[in-house]
Amino acid sequence: MPTMQTRSGPLQMTTPLSVNPNDRSTTSGGGTPGQNGSANGSASATAAGGDVGGVGVLDKNQGGAEGVTAFAECIKAGRPFPAYTHESLLREDHVIHVKDFSLYYGQARALYDIAMRFARGKTTALIGPSGCGKSTLLRSINRLNDLIDSVRCTGDMTLNGTSVYAPSVDVIDIRKRIGMVFQKSNPFPMSIFENVVYSLRIDGEKRKGVLQDACERALRSAALWDEVKDRLKESALGMSGGQQQRLCIARAIAAEPEVLLMDEPCSALDPIATLKVEEFIRQIAGRITVVIVTHNMHQAARVSHSTAFMYMGRLVEYGPTADIFQNPRLPETEQYVTGRFG
Amino acid sequence: MNQSLENPTQKQPPSEKGVGMTPRVRATPLHARGEPMVWLTGSALVMCLLMIAGLLSLVLYHGGRAFWPGDVQQVTFAAVGEDGKPGANPTVVLGVQTEEEFFDPGEADQKAIAAMKNAGTLPPGAVDASGRAARKLLRVGNRELQDQPFLWVPLYQIQKVETPAEATMVERMEWGPWFGVPAGVEVRQRVAIDQPAEKIELLVTREGEHGKETVARTIVGQAEGKPGSTVVDEVRVIGKDDPARAMAVFQKLWPEARARAVEIERLKEIEVGRINHEIEAQRLRVRQAEVDFVRAKVAFETGAPSAPVWLWWVGVVGAVGLLGAWIFTRPKPPAPGELLIPKPTVTALRAVMLAGVAALGIFAYVERPNSLLRADQQTVERLSQRLEAVRAEAKVQTERLEAKYGELRTQTAKIDEEDARYRVIFREVTTGKFAPVRQTELGEPLRISQVVRTIQPNDASVFSKLSVYTSRWGEFIFGSPREANTEGGIFPVIIGTVTLTLLLSVLVMPLGVIAAIYLREYAKQGPLTSAVRVAINNLAGVPSIVYGVFGLGFFCYSVGAFIDTGSGVSAASRVALPVVGSVWSTVAWWIGVGVLLLLVLGAVFASMAARPRPGQYATGGQVWLARGAAIGWVLCAVSFAGLVAYTPYFNGFFEANLPAKTFNAKGMLWSALTLSLLTLPVVIVATEEAIAAVPRTMREGSYGCGASKWQTIQRIVLPRAMPGIMTGMILAMARGAGEVAPLMLVGAVKLAPELPVSSQWPFLHLDRNFMHLGFHVYDVGFQSPDSQAAQPIVWCTTFLLILVVVTLNASAISIRSSLRKKFFGETF
Repeated sequence: MPTMQTRSGPLQMTTPLSVNPNDRSTTSGGGTPGQNGSANGSASATAAGGDVGGVGVLDKNQGGAEGVTAFAECIKAGRPFPAYTHESLLREDHVIHVKDFSLYYGQARALYDIAMRFARGKTTALIGPSGCGKSTLLRSINRLNDLIDSVRCTGDMTLNGTSVYAPSVDVIDIRKRIGMVFQKSNPFPMSIFENVVYSLRIDGEKRKGVLQDACERALRSAALWDEVKDRLKESALGMSGGQQQRLCIARAIAAEPEVLLMDEPCSALDPIATLKVEEFIRQIAGRITVVIVTHNMHQAARVSHSTAFMYMGRLVEYGPTADIFQNPRLPETEQYVTGRFG
Repeated sequence: MNQSLENPTQKQPPSEKGVGMTPRVRATPLHARGEPMVWLTGSALVMCLLMIAGLLSLVLYHGGRAFWPGDVQQVTFAAVGEDGKPGANPTVVLGVQTEEEFFDPGEADQKAIAAMKNAGTLPPGAVDASGRAARKLLRVGNRELQDQPFLWVPLYQIQKVETPAEATMVERMEWGPWFGVPAGVEVRQRVAIDQPAEKIELLVTREGEHGKETVARTIVGQAEGKPGSTVVDEVRVIGKDDPARAMAVFQKLWPEARARAVEIERLKEIEVGRINHEIEAQRLRVRQAEVDFVRAKVAFETGAPSAPVWLWWVGVVGAVGLLGAWIFTRPKPPAPGELLIPKPTVTALRAVMLAGVAALGIFAYVERPNSLLRADQQTVERLSQRLEAVRAEAKVQTERLEAKYGELRTQTAKIDEEDARYRVIFREVTTGKFAPVRQTELGEPLRISQVVRTIQPNDASVFSKLSVYTSRWGEFIFGSPREANTEGGIFPVIIGTVTLTLLLSVLVMPLGVIAAIYLREYAKQGPLTSAVRVAINNLAGVPSIVYGVFGLGFFCYSVGAFIDTGSGVSAASRVALPVVGSVWSTVAWWIGVGVLLLLVLGAVFASMAARPRPGQYATGGQVWLARGAAIGWVLCAVSFAGLVAYTPYFNGFFEANLPAKTFNAKGMLWSALTLSLLTLPVVIVATEEAIAAVPRTMREGSYGCGASKWQTIQRIVLPRAMPGIMTGMILAMARGAGEVAPLMLVGAVKLAPELPVSSQWPFLHLDRNFMHLGFHVYDVGFQSPDSQAAQPIVWCTTFLLILVVVTLNASAISIRSSLRKKFFGETF
């Protein structure tokens, strides 16, 4: 059997994309997506019609004969999948360039030769079912996965042209250029003010004025200033859940990073808090490059300029958000965004 | 069950309507509901609580009752004759009953009891149903007059028990309590009477300022320059036959007399002590100057002890060269926008270079030509002159101090003379003997100032008993011990315990926390780390006396000897001839320093090179390199300790004190260090758990902000783990405060002459012995010459020990809870 991602065990058994071992004998010929089962019929038709071609674009005619796509074959063989990247994205100026990046947790491979670029000043959403590797990819950008002993990786990324994974790179320097917001709000056990200026403090900034300016600017960006300006000296742990998450956002942008990584920032928030966070993301578009991982496809549609669909550790399709949701080129993407699985 | 299996046909046929239609009855038996488990666990808790409550209430009951004044009984008893009638010539004693119990009577007792039964004179309650006789224990005091301050009296022998109002218990400064009846106050004075000697009456009864008094006169001689006038010594006795008036006069005179005693005590202990300290300091200065001079002289006469000059030049050139290299390798500041990538190996190299500069610089300074250690003619002369100067200065100072000392002695003698004038007579009831000044002067009545307090409890109100009770507690807590610790207070003991406990927590906290941080945060989790953890947990189970032996052997005898006398020379030989060292031992030592530097360099580089690339596994070579680095670090530590132990020219910090020992003996510092070793496992384990409990999201947040590992530990992990660390400290303090066995070996003593903290510099005297509550309980309870008399002290000390531990814990808990509020937020 090919190496499978262990974390998506249950998913493999239930999703339509997983390969049934019984089909093995039938997947020899070079069928087209059009020959898929009835569920995939319309999707492949759309994909075929809207295909504009591009670099690294999948040759869709490599699909299995009996309703098995090229992607399913890759999974079955444990091979990487050459993602379908919409051409329009390739022309954009990029900040992060992921070059054939793979990552392993011990023996288990979590990412398969991911190759993609994140456009400057744009918001990119990573979507996909649980365990598809989108959080891993996100955490690889600021090398947070280094903290896990068993992690190994191959390939490289560049951040504004400098390598992230070169041996001579100081990982702390990389992280200082990238802000990060986590799924669960994680305010530090200190005052609101100290939380926001944490990045500056660890850089050794001691000037009161600079710290106060940075604090106010960050809190205003995160739409939190008016709520907390009178209690900056109080503990951050006394705030509500939504406030805590916006505090973490303020903390992430206080040092003015080049990139902001957001790992399902709204999954633990109520709709109103979610709205505020999304509003924030829309506002900073153009100033900071945002990469956001989300389970909520509506959210991806609302906030992002481009969307990448990942599945089983592979990047499946990557294109402008409108295209991904309304005009996906691959049947897998279509099934996912139309909610037929995941 | 079996039946239904064997006869399946007997089973009820399933309902035709289907399985789901008939409601199934599902019984939950009692044991399944868990009720018995609740009872079991609950009763286990109750058992624990009962035992704790029992212990505490026993201590509380005895400790609380110990100082309550009991009635002074006048007991009349005598051996019973063969006819069963109460014996003639009975003994009368005054005493306080402390116990009553039944005992198995001996042959004589049985005979007497049988006779009394026959005669029908056996008092009720003297014998119980099973034939055991009752007896009571009386505290009769008056140690000068009888061997036993406690007396067992069988009830059947007792003829009479009275509680006369004038029966008094006198607590004295020396020789324990005295039971008696007040029989007058004596005031002695020397007066001149305008009468010739032959006309003076030698025994007069007159009205004095305290009422009727009897005056006995002794003629001294004629008054100078006043013919017809005679100087006589008068002994005025007031209230000779009136116990109440005697008591009243005594009460009036007592406060002043007591104040005099306290003043004498103060002058003796504090003022004289201070002067003694200053004289001692002068002596030490002279001694130090002597030692310096003699060493230089010996060095001059035996040849230069220092390194040869060519080696000195090597040092200078090396230091300059390394400094140059250090400057040369300075990293360029990054251009704007350029990524700063400092190379860790270069940083380490620079650090070692700097260390080399420091070492060679120190070498060049210490071994410089014409240094004190090379001891040329000039140096010897200079030191000789200095010695003379110091001697002269010390002589002046000492004379001044001695003059002051003389003044103090005169002052003390004057107060003492005044003090001797006022005396009080408490007569024993049988013989009429009175309480003497001391055992050797039975004829002289007790000085008033020697009385700590008097109690006439028989007619006293509850309030006056209460005031005695509180004054006894006050003396107990704030006073010094008397009478081989069986009386008086335990103030120095409390101070010793509290100082020790605080010092121990100050020492153990950094050690334990640093070890735990390394174990949890930096060490690679593997078999070696697990082995270290197991070892630490095992340390917690080592008997504490073993720590005591280790502390005595390592701290007191090895480290202490090093601090006192310097490198590898015994104190005895040091007094005769100060160490000057030899050229080749010195050179060998400096070569050792060089080797150590190389070792450090190698270990640093090996550690750096052994680090796997981020995102990559360590290669086989790196694994071996890491092992080599670990061995290298161990070698570094060992050779560093060795180099310190053989530091050339190091003659100890206290060479002037020799042969008196300073740190080469039991003391506060070594006790605190021993106890901190003992409590280290507790702190390490608690800290590790607290660190492990810090949420990963919090650390990731910090790393995500660009913090380094150390910044994350310092700013996020440690504050957040602080409540848990405090828990560890609380446990360590509780354990340390209650520990006795190791202290018996490394510092606690029966009676410490001075407190470990004082107003004299350096305020905290780490070299001094101290007293400790736990050891005090053992010492007073089991090593005391009069353990029966010491019982109240033992109970109250135990009570206080528990109180001190509870107070220390409570304060630590309150700090912890406030930290918890700060770092955990309001939980809801």
